[in-house]
Amino acid sequence: MIKRELPLEYRLAPGWLTPWIESVVRGETLARSCRACGRISFVPERVCECGCAEGIWKSLPGTATVIRRTFGADGSFGLVRFDYADTCTVVELDGFELGNRRGKLVPPGGHLPKLILQPEFGAASA
Amino acid sequence: MVSVIGASLTEFGRRKDGSSFRDWAADAFESALSMSGLERSDIDLLACSSESDFFTFQLNPASVIAGDLGLTGAASMRVEGGGASGQLAVHSAVNAIRSGQAKRAAVVGFDPSASQLSAAAVKELYCLSFDAWTDGMTGTSSTVLYALSFQFFMETRGLDERHLAQVTIQNRDNALSNAKAHLGRRHSAQEIYASPIIASPYRRLHCSPLSDGAAAIILSERNSAPNQRRNAPRIVGIGASSDKPRLGARNAPGEFRSKTAAMKIACASAGLTPADIGLAEIYDAYAGAQLQAIEALGFTDDIICDLERDAFRPGGRLPVNLSGGLMGQGAPAGAIGVGQTANCALFLEGLHYSELQPASPPKYALADTHGGVCTTSAVTILGVGL
Ligand SMILES: [Zn+2]
Repeated sequence: MIKRELPLEYRLAPGWLTPWIESVVRGETLARSCRACGRISFVPERVCECGCAEGIWKSLPGTATVIRRTFGADGSFGLVRFDYADTCTVVELDGFELGNRRGKLVPPGGHLPKLILQPEFGAASA
Repeated sequence: MVSVIGASLTEFGRRKDGSSFRDWAADAFESALSMSGLERSDIDLLACSSESDFFTFQLNPASVIAGDLGLTGAASMRVEGGGASGQLAVHSAVNAIRSGQAKRAAVVGFDPSASQLSAAAVKELYCLSFDAWTDGMTGTSSTVLYALSFQFFMETRGLDERHLAQVTIQNRDNALSNAKAHLGRRHSAQEIYASPIIASPYRRLHCSPLSDGAAAIILSERNSAPNQRRNAPRIVGIGASSDKPRLGARNAPGEFRSKTAAMKIACASAGLTPADIGLAEIYDAYAGAQLQAIEALGFTDDIICDLERDAFRPGGRLPVNLSGGLMGQGAPAGAIGVGQTANCALFLEGLHYSELQPASPPKYALADTHGGVCTTSAVTILGVGL
């Protein structure tokens, strides 16, 4: 057997996603609103379903409703819809118990733009 | 018309014998070439499929495989589309022959998905096969995304863990009849229910394994095939489509819509309907994905009813994954789609080495593959006796 290691340190330029990536690291919810039809995507989509490629950045409150959740050896994740967004996204669920349906995006800590949702303080259990 | 005049798969599994993906590619190719009746100098196109250079430690793998196979001078390429890579390589070769750019092509799929890297490293790499900058940064695994997608499907169809167990037991049981399969096992439902949860509702035994292996087919324009192979199975329809890579951006996260679109294209080009298909090799990365695929491909109007009637078992209305599928036969990424097409050709011709080879093969078979959570779909319909 030939043993080889390949240490790689990428410097990823986020391009058009830069405002979104930087906002996620701060724990903020920056969505993209289609200039033509107003559809709001979070995670942002460069081209809207209507075909328009022009969007404007729009801040959302950061609160979300959990639609589906999965847990196990691979961690705890959910498909959630952020308030005012027309699309859903997958987030890590941190500290969620079975009854929690509402959460808020938090800063991930570190430099990676991870989407992490914690239960919203004082949120009612379903 | 494009014929499949040679088809071969190596053993799938975790290879510990010191052999490499280059050996497996050569073994599959030589066997398929021998079946075809062609000489290597007859091959004017080599389409390779391998999902990732990270797996092979080889950029431009088609160049070294062409050299190893003695095909220097033939056009060569590597085709990549995640889990669909192999089927897309088949399509590329079919299209080259249909357009007149090639007369006889070799399609060789391979990947050392099991033995060269740790399982943890492969799992981390697979996280990059969705949207690496969003879902990948968050750390969602393949199993997490498939589990979330299946939850929608499971709820709307009224499925539960019994149906996941049925698929798991069936595919691994089918693999017991396939001497080249990775995971031929006889599971009880209790064993499955007791296996660790990876991402609910998926447990370890609902998942396909990481495998090493290769598969090859030899394609020929019918009139360029050797006389003894003029009646070999033909590729009568191909179709491909795509969906949004992020599950959350889809309007229906539980539906495999790109698969439905690919199947419609393939059926239209073949002049067939799903009801004409007599057996199918389906992309069962997870037990539930097989059920999502069966419905998306138009093979059922009532998945629970058809499961209860054993419609997809050997001898049923539409035998699915007689080879064992990814869950049983194994999943060397780049070899999957080529292997499915090879399996279909061998089953149609009555030449498969599986004990499940139907005594009276059907006329048409389907090979179904996708990458991502059914993001990149590619299907191929084969026919025989035409
Ligand atoms: Zn729009």
